[in-house]
Amino acid sequence: MGDHQFREGAKAALPIVLGYLPVALTFGVLARKAGFTSFEVGLMSLFVYAGASQFLAIEMISKGMAGFSIVLATFFINLRHFLMSSNLSLYFKNIRLPILALLSAQLTDESYAVAISNPSRIENRPRYLFGLQIISQLAWIGGSVAGAFFSSLTKSSEWGLPFALPALFICLLVLQIKSAHHFWVMVIAGIFSLFFRWILPGNWYILVTAILASGIGVTIEMIWRKRQ
Amino acid sequence: MEEETMRGSIVGLILGMALVTFLPRFLPMAFLSRWVLPEKIKIGLGYIPVAILSAIVFPILFSDGGEAGIQPQSLLAALPVFFFAWKAKSLWGSVILGMLIYWGLGFIL
Repeated sequence: MGDHQFREGAKAALPIVLGYLPVALTFGVLARKAGFTSFEVGLMSLFVYAGASQFLAIEMISKGMAGFSIVLATFFINLRHFLMSSNLSLYFKNIRLPILALLSAQLTDESYAVAISNPSRIENRPRYLFGLQIISQLAWIGGSVAGAFFSSLTKSSEWGLPFALPALFICLLVLQIKSAHHFWVMVIAGIFSLFFRWILPGNWYILVTAILASGIGVTIEMIWRKRQ
Repeated sequence: MEEETMRGSIVGLILGMALVTFLPRFLPMAFLSRWVLPEKIKIGLGYIPVAILSAIVFPILFSDGGEAGIQPQSLLAALPVFFFAWKAKSLWGSVILGMLIYWGLGFIL
């Protein structure tokens, strides 16, 4: 029963694995060039496990910036997970705290999006989410360590690899359009994201857009319910 | 000695980053899963996935490092992926198709 859930989750991770490997390889190569050992690359992918922040960290280290500013930047970059974690909390009631800690430590944009594409699969099924997330993270750790190891050989801009994660996100977005309301929230969020990306630093646009657009979604739904 | 300090500070940096990435991932799951949420918040959380994914996808297609501007290779690869995803609802298929088209467009554009 439990193993069945785990296997199901592990299978659902395969598109993420395909998307992560080239990015992880690239990270490993760049981190090695910034002075990390292969072991430290693996350590970072294990404990931090946040693509954008890891790239930013090696960039900032190369520029000689202080550790504190890197940690602060990392905090703000990953604040967006606050919303995803809030969303997932709806599906995990009465689960022990250590298990929630393990599951939430492995939360990423990609695993969140795949998990939420079919809520009936995650509803109080921690083993499914664990299978999905551990396979994704193993791909991230394995890919980044391999990149660090073979840092002189790899080149990840070929074979359409840069479009693997965008294609994954496009499909996940399409799967979320469950009603006309969702469609309009998508259009609004799309326009907002372009605007806020233009005026805000870093990736704040994701958090700001998500809060505003889902707020508008609530308003649309409330007006629609009153009319019924 | 200097080498050791650098190694130590990298491990310290990793631990600091680990802590600040863990908190926003963990705190909502730990607390919200134990509370009964108001209806409006629940509806709002239901729109979070589509809002976040739109905010990730649109800038990839329509902006270039902050400036507005169409990304032709990404945009042309994205259109068939949108259509395919809508019809087939397959993650694998979408990723493979997207990569193939993007790769092919690299020769033309």
